[in-house]
Amino acid sequence: MAEIEVRGLSKTFGRVTAVRDVSFTAPEGKVTGLLGPNGSGKTTTLRILLGLVQATAGDALIGGARYERLARPRRVVGAMLESTGFHPGRRADDHLRVLADADGIPARRVDEVLDLAGLTGAARRPVRQFSLGMRQRLGLAAAMLGDPQMLVLDEPANGLDPGGTAWLRTTLRDLAREGRTIVVASHVLGEIARTADHVVIVSAGELRFAGPLSDIGQTHSALESAFLTLTTAPN
Amino acid sequence: MLSVIRSEFRKLTTVRAPWLLLAAGPLLVVAGITGLVESGGNVHDPGTQRAALAHTGLAAVFTLIFGILAVAGEYRHSTITDTYLSSPRRGQVITAKLTVYALTGACAGLLSSGAALATTAAWWADRGGHLQLSAAGTWLTLLGGVAANCAFAAIGVGLGALIRNPAAAIAVALAWFAVIEGITGQLLGSALARWLPFYASEALSRSNLSATARLLPQWGGGLMLLGYAAVFATAAVFTTLRRDVT
Repeated sequence: MAEIEVRGLSKTFGRVTAVRDVSFTAPEGKVTGLLGPNGSGKTTTLRILLGLVQATAGDALIGGARYERLARPRRVVGAMLESTGFHPGRRADDHLRVLADADGIPARRVDEVLDLAGLTGAARRPVRQFSLGMRQRLGLAAAMLGDPQMLVLDEPANGLDPGGTAWLRTTLRDLAREGRTIVVASHVLGEIARTADHVVIVSAGELRFAGPLSDIGQTHSALESAFLTLTTAPN
Repeated sequence: MLSVIRSEFRKLTTVRAPWLLLAAGPLLVVAGITGLVESGGNVHDPGTQRAALAHTGLAAVFTLIFGILAVAGEYRHSTITDTYLSSPRRGQVITAKLTVYALTGACAGLLSSGAALATTAAWWADRGGHLQLSAAGTWLTLLGGVAANCAFAAIGVGLGALIRNPAAAIAVALAWFAVIEGITGQLLGSALARWLPFYASEALSRSNLSATARLLPQWGGGLMLLGYAAVFATAAVFTTLRRDVT
């Protein structure tokens, strides 16, 4: 079972409620788009899912288990978060080797994911020389390192040029076709309209919609009007 | 656990900054001993020889900063997210860092003690003195210095996990080193002051900067410093376990 399941999830930071009773399932073999305005709780939901933030209530499960219970987490789920950073003086290949070491992933896999992300030529350069788009590609390479059955990506298209965006779309579709579970948080609706099978829309920390993209229309404009209606409507 | 340790070692060996920092230790030792001799230190006095060799312990200020950057440096570059994604059992990450940094700190201390011995031997030869390796305390002084380098690296790891902003953590450590402990020591009186971390480290590394203070015996200073390292490490593990990484 390789699905991602969020059940009754809530999180408060002090007096601020970031996520309130959110539930959804990201099914196996599908791309699930997690949509919402800035500050809607998307990133917090993903951080709870990945064990970085403690939920106040509810569960976020990866293949039925909490992230902290996974013995070799990168082999089960690959993640790229917006705040993921790099040491500016460390080479791209070394960055990946550090991560590979921690999860017992063989060194040759580093070269494979560098190739997959189109970074082979830049592998030996320190990350401080990388453009934003190259950093995104390195983040995606890191997410793919353990050849995971599930991927959780936060704004992966951020900083990618048109070629990179097209590459990302094809890669995600291919990975889903191989049966992997993919969750992509984004507010680039056009990309989601072209990539996702399922969408989850959150606003002000609350779930507004969860279901197949076809239920709200598969064009950019249909998704946009549904998004705007769902995220501005009074609860 | 071994894989986490291997990953931590690779983090260290793939960037330059920590090694430049650690290289400052032996340089400080060479400069310090040279200053001691040039300012009129008597090479025929066994006390001067002990004071020269005890510079090894002073290099621990660099292993302390080195240790601080173990966790605080990861927050600075936001690499902590990837670290916890690889190893969601955070206690393992802190334990691996303590192991790797304490070991590396001890190696840096070993280099500093070698630099102290070589520099002292060179100056003593230059000034017609006779280096007495067999003198009581020569090896204990060097060993204590190495132990101080090791202990302060571990204390730094704990401090950097508690204060995750590296500039703030280093400022707190240096302020404590330079003024706060001295003032606290005066307020407490010398009977209590000797239990404070840097007085304990003076006892351990026999540097005795504050000649008036009543220090603990060397082994007592060592135990005290081990205790401080254990307290900081425990606090680091427990504050890190459940803290949200946003």
